[in-house]
Amino acid sequence: MSNTTSPIKVLNERRLDAVRRRLDGESLADVSSAVGLSVPTVVAAMKAYDLGGWDGVAVKPRGRPAATKALTPEKLDELKSTLIQTALLGDGELPQHALWTAARVHEWLNEQGVAVSTATASRHSKSWGLAPSSPASGYKPAPGTESHRFTTEARRLKRRLVWLSTHPIAAGDQTHTLLCAHTARGLCLWVLVNRVEQNTFIEFLSAVTEHVGTALAPVTRLNQGIEKTWIQQWQQQTGNSALLLPAAMESDNSNSSSTITARSTMTALNQTPDKASDLLLAPEQLTHLQRLEAESIHIMREVVAEAENPVMLYSIGKDSAVMLHLAVKAFYPAPPPFPLLHVDTTWKFQEMYKFRDSIAKDLGFELLVHRNEEGIKQGVSPFTHGSELHTDILKTQALKQALDKHGFDVAFGGARRDEEKSRAKERVFSFRTSAHRWEPKSQRPELWSLYNAKKRKDESIRVFPLSNWTELDIWQYIHQQSIPIVPLYFSGERPVVERDGQIIMVDDDRMPLLEGETPEMKRVRFRTLGCYPLTGAVESNATTLTDIIQEMLLATTSERQGRLIDHDTSASMEKKKQEGYF
Amino acid sequence: MNQPNHDLIASDIDAYLNQHENKSLLRFITCGSVDDGKSTLIGRLLYESKVLFEDQLDAVASDSKKWGTQGKEMDFALLVDGLAAEREQGITIDVAYRFFSTENRKFIVADTPGHEQYTRNMVTGASTCDAAVILCDARQGVLTQTRRHSYLLSLLGIRNVILAVNKMDLMNYDESVYDDIVDTYQAFAKDIGLENVTAIPMSALRGDNILQRSPKMPWYHGPTLLSYLETAEVNDEHRRNAPFRLPVQWVNRPNLDFRGFAGSIASGSVKPGDTIRVQPSGKTSSVARIVTQDGDLAEAVAGQSVTITLADEIDVSRGDIISTTENPASTADQFETTIVWMHEEPLHSGRPYWLKIGTKTVSATVTQIKHEVNVNTLEQTAAKQLELNAIGICNISTDQPIAFDAFEDNQETGSFILIDRVANHTVGAGMLHFALRRSENIHMQATDVNKDRRSELKGQKPAVVWFTGLSGAGKSTVANIVEKKLAAAGHHTYLLDGDNVRHGLNKDLGFTDSDRVENIRRIGEVAGLMVDAGMIVLTAFISPFRSERALARSIVGEREFIEVYVETPLAIAEERDPKGLYKKARRGELQNFTGIDSPYEAPESAEILVDTGTLSAEQAAERVIAELRKRGLLEP
Repeated sequence: MSNTTSPIKVLNERRLDAVRRRLDGESLADVSSAVGLSVPTVVAAMKAYDLGGWDGVAVKPRGRPAATKALTPEKLDELKSTLIQTALLGDGELPQHALWTAARVHEWLNEQGVAVSTATASRHSKSWGLAPSSPASGYKPAPGTESHRFTTEARRLKRRLVWLSTHPIAAGDQTHTLLCAHTARGLCLWVLVNRVEQNTFIEFLSAVTEHVGTALAPVTRLNQGIEKTWIQQWQQQTGNSALLLPAAMESDNSNSSSTITARSTMTALNQTPDKASDLLLAPEQLTHLQRLEAESIHIMREVVAEAENPVMLYSIGKDSAVMLHLAVKAFYPAPPPFPLLHVDTTWKFQEMYKFRDSIAKDLGFELLVHRNEEGIKQGVSPFTHGSELHTDILKTQALKQALDKHGFDVAFGGARRDEEKSRAKERVFSFRTSAHRWEPKSQRPELWSLYNAKKRKDESIRVFPLSNWTELDIWQYIHQQSIPIVPLYFSGERPVVERDGQIIMVDDDRMPLLEGETPEMKRVRFRTLGCYPLTGAVESNATTLTDIIQEMLLATTSERQGRLIDHDTSASMEKKKQEGYF
Repeated sequence: MNQPNHDLIASDIDAYLNQHENKSLLRFITCGSVDDGKSTLIGRLLYESKVLFEDQLDAVASDSKKWGTQGKEMDFALLVDGLAAEREQGITIDVAYRFFSTENRKFIVADTPGHEQYTRNMVTGASTCDAAVILCDARQGVLTQTRRHSYLLSLLGIRNVILAVNKMDLMNYDESVYDDIVDTYQAFAKDIGLENVTAIPMSALRGDNILQRSPKMPWYHGPTLLSYLETAEVNDEHRRNAPFRLPVQWVNRPNLDFRGFAGSIASGSVKPGDTIRVQPSGKTSSVARIVTQDGDLAEAVAGQSVTITLADEIDVSRGDIISTTENPASTADQFETTIVWMHEEPLHSGRPYWLKIGTKTVSATVTQIKHEVNVNTLEQTAAKQLELNAIGICNISTDQPIAFDAFEDNQETGSFILIDRVANHTVGAGMLHFALRRSENIHMQATDVNKDRRSELKGQKPAVVWFTGLSGAGKSTVANIVEKKLAAAGHHTYLLDGDNVRHGLNKDLGFTDSDRVENIRRIGEVAGLMVDAGMIVLTAFISPFRSERALARSIVGEREFIEVYVETPLAIAEERDPKGLYKKARRGELQNFTGIDSPYEAPESAEILVDTGTLSAEQAAERVIAELRKRGLLEP
């Protein structure tokens, strides 16, 4: 597409034309070919219209006006709390005229004397948690399902589909609730309350109806403090119907007894509740994530059925997080029938340790932690011994010790084939000799989904259920399934020093500073996690999962670049693996 | 292709994610001769779909200088040749898996080697694929390797096959070159039953007809490679129309109130209320719930991993297949199959292997190798054993009935692997064709006089005392003394050795590994009959292979089989050389002589071990008798 070369006037005329056509009901593809703009640009124009009306459609000339400087973090925090105070409804106050949108936040910022673009305003909104991503994202009902019938019917009746959701907003020591309605076109309407009650909820819906100018067809999930009875009440008042979806995840704060808890089936409330047991129908075609999920689960079950004493290696990273999530699914309703093993070098980030302990407890896993005490006693550290020796003694040797000590015969690992060249050729069931060596030339053939788990007493198997996942698959799945991950993946102010071209976080006082090095606070995040002295950070403002995915997709260097241990030679991983590194 | 994507990522990441979470997945394999440009093609696909990062490209650029074969240009092949050994030799040894995606699909590519000695790797890679791309060098046309790969793909039932006529740039994009190759190929494809072949002229190096239609070949009107791959039907969709099958992987029993059967749906679909049959037991029930952590399902389809519960308490365990009652799987214990052999140690008929089909593992033996198929000429030749990479039509028999479908009807329930029982390697891959209705009509005649009655009459406990060891170790000598002692004590005995077996029952057998296997199988069967007759049987054979001794043990029965390892260092046995055989073997006059040019696999856990290097024959015989007493087989 070469629209960037068009004079801005031509471009704006096309955008306006595109919006008119969309409003007339033409399909995205038709509009795109008629006006000569790419589909995403049409979508963007439409979005701009939703946010700012006809005036919002035209794009401004590029470049930022000289007056606007980047705001300091302090100033941003101040703005956030002022905005929350302004927006928060008092108890009993009704939301009729208090609906907020991105446009209104923009307007408000301008009123505060902060002249920023719409895009910047919406970025700030996002970082303050006031512009959550739409729950509709990633949801595409398959034909034949109740949700598909519901959405089709809503369109036929020209009702506006809105997705309802709630989000906790922390301000000082208090937590408020953001009640949101997302339209399919990306408009987000919200109010901020202390707690959602039936009255507020119903008033909110009528305010939204007024704002969009059409009757609503609300869709919501059932685990977020929105009660079924409120929706029934609203239906009785308006005669419209709503769609309730099963909860995506157990909510952490679903302690209210009248809340319809997770895993209830999908129910359309316009049907009589008695025969509403309309379960999820199979999708027309399995998506790649569904196929990958099914394959990983198959592999895990196969191991549990054939191994004598399996264990899951837990590295606390995002791949491990996905692996844990899949393990819970594979054996549900039984708890996963194996413990977690964390091989601890003692040099992980403090936040990783905290996360590890809480997640194992939450998911009901037994957690084993093993350290190479001998190596630790000898004072092995990445600073004094170099990354290679450190990894060998505290990771590779420690792993072997732990497997031998507990007599584990099969160990799950979260490695993926897209990570590195030698992994691309490794089997899902990867055999290790009694000395834990990998023999790349004598790998067993692996056919169909028939895994051969037979082995001699002294041999062991490493099993990689995520072999066929890519980094993007992992992130998409985390996003889709709301899987918790270590906060270090998100951008935050952290004390760092720059060393050998890498940004290293000073996570504790064991890190010797070189001459001229002073830790400074930077907004950074980590694309991969390991021992903090060996893990490079990237400067980033990505504070949400979608930000991370966006950043990753636009990145130009591969994930493992932040990992210092892989830097040596391109055959180094192959060598490490042969020696028993996972 | 990626530019609009980048716009979307930057402007509306939610819309992008929405689009990309709902992609489908296609697995395909690339195969072809050594220099047809497979790795270049994959490198090109990765490069064009922008999944390569700058640091990876930098690494390739520096590797290109070291190992590249494209002069100054970037050698895409280096992107995919993973192991250091491979890069040095410039060939692809093992299957490598690569990933890329377009707006509509995610792709997993199995990159497999072309040489004949890597047939097993190609079969491995192809077994999980929905589609295959066969590369063919436009300068070379259809080669032997092209034919071999096509045959393997037809064998594995790959339904979408692309003939990629590559390097068209080197033939001036000439239509007639392409037409000739396609004509030759189509005629051949028809012969081997490969249907649905799509031919595409291309240049992987220059990018012609890979993503974008090549302006240099205006005469070609078919799809580009990627547009074909984006629309090819994946196996899951195809399998959804087959009858319902769920091989049970694991019984989920967290408490007394829940009993679920977990597994991946091999084919078809299932809903609560459907009536089902559990096989091979044949019991029926109906589906109560389809349980997943995300909530119960109203329907589950091929490719999903689920847990189902049944309305009735019936016996179901790992390895069973849950089928629809309308069209259930078959059960049998003898089959005709095609086997692809994957190990350096050849397949011997008569030797027992583990056979894993679905989630079931049973013991199986190849009862007959009907013929071997020459993968290059497709000729059928007689064979007594299958060497590495050989393909044979074999009859196979399992030690218990298993549920199955013909591979043509259902790849998931008609495919199996063979596993070596001693070393545990995956040694073969197989496809079931049909059941041999043989043993079905041969019922055991229950006789009134049975083994117990016969042994009672003889006043003894029947057993097989199986002597094994090198030639010259003293097996026959010791066995002879043991028999004399037993006879003196009034026992009914029989000594089977080379003299009375090789001259009669087994005189058709030689000394190749295959014949040795068959020799021992027959002896095992005869010894089994004699034990049934109430006899104490002594056998004195080298019986060099662990797996055949294990087979004999399984025929006779664990309790009545006593393995005696007559141990002697090779040097001592060779010095004794009672029949002058070692000397002959050393002179090269005797082939396949155990200890010289044929291996002896010493027992790992024989019941009795006698070392004739230190014990006399008499002492060794005493030790055997004492041990039999200790085990309660002889009166004290």
